[in-house]
Amino acid sequence: MAMFVALRCVSVNFPSALPLISRTAQVPTCRLLWKACTPRTLSTASRLTAALKFTDKHEWVRVEGGIGTVGISNFAQEALGDVVYCGLPEVGTKLDQMEEFGALESVKAASELYSPLTGEVTEVNQELAENPGLVNKSCYEDGWLIKMTIDNPAEVDALMDEVAYEKYIKSIEN
Amino acid sequence: MTSRKVVVNVVNLGRIPYGRALQVQQQYVRRHLDSSSLDLNTLLLCEHQPVYTIGIRQALYSAEEEKRLKDLGADFYRTNRGGLITFHGPGQLVCYPIVNLGCFKKSVRWYVCELERTVISLCRKFGIKASTSPDTGVWVGENKICAIGINCRMYITSHGLALNCNTDMRWFDNIVPCGIVGKGVTSLSQELKREVTVHEAIPTLLESFAEQFNCSLSFEDVIIKNGRPVLDK
Repeated sequence: MAMFVALRCVSVNFPSALPLISRTAQVPTCRLLWKACTPRTLSTASRLTAALKFTDKHEWVRVEGGIGTVGISNFAQEALGDVVYCGLPEVGTKLDQMEEFGALESVKAASELYSPLTGEVTEVNQELAENPGLVNKSCYEDGWLIKMTIDNPAEVDALMDEVAYEKYIKSIEN
Repeated sequence: MTSRKVVVNVVNLGRIPYGRALQVQQQYVRRHLDSSSLDLNTLLLCEHQPVYTIGIRQALYSAEEEKRLKDLGADFYRTNRGGLITFHGPGQLVCYPIVNLGCFKKSVRWYVCELERTVISLCRKFGIKASTSPDTGVWVGENKICAIGINCRMYITSHGLALNCNTDMRWFDNIVPCGIVGKGVTSLSQELKREVTVHEAIPTLLESFAEQFNCSLSFEDVIIKNGRPVLDK
């Protein structure tokens, strides 16, 4: 929840901060300011690092060091209710973008998960076996589901950023 | 403010083996996924031959357990629904809504809650006081009268609810229904101390469903060919 609030803050800052950087890259104070108001995950400032990207199925992916960490959004965990079981793939499973890769069980419902990217599963969150409720409590941090390679970086660019995703959620709710 | 109600088409499959009903459900789910039409919402009604089914937490049930239950003369299926083990058999009204949650509300938590309320309303119409519990499903006191387990893919639901009407309750003695220890099961017949058949319960279930989901029902004839509904006209 706190993370979600932080993201809102980022999305508010994005439109104004980005032009600032390109226009005044030579002015160090602006740089500092930009860094100060972004979460640590964005601090390396390269284009392909660390911002959350979202699918229309409410999965998110955060790309760091060529590996994508995948989870479900706050909107999704609220819609599911208390998660009691996470059915996740084996390490080494190859996934196509939008392929089903597992299911989350909540309130007697099994909801399928969809891979945000094409790639291979490199790690599965082992904590979830003991504590599936992390998906609810910390959906953007401790409740991540899998990590995967990124076979096609263009897929990352095509996903929604936080601003677009927030708009998308509003369009669903109305 | 007037808005057109969602229409849900009711199809009664009658008594049908579990495996066949799974195929029929998949046919209807596929139809949703292959089309962007929002007019494909369907309520499948049926009754099964004796069968034990489990949900996606399959590691909890061993091959030996599966064999033990099959030796009792029932089928056994590992499925993609939520929930733990349950029994279906004659005398139990099984209802599989294959609906697009986009037509209602995009939340499985909401959906399961509405299914529970549907059955509570049905029980009330029969004069039975039923309620929910943290364990999901619908309960009369400490006994479960209706089990719920669903799957949701791209907002299309499958599986659903199983309401005991005049089920032979001895089938439940062989399992811990839904994995909940220390609680029992009951049926409409047991509660009302008279025989209530699936046939008798269907109209009340439909009425409660239509009220709870604020939808209207249609009863379009479905052509059954070789024991399967023909969906393309």
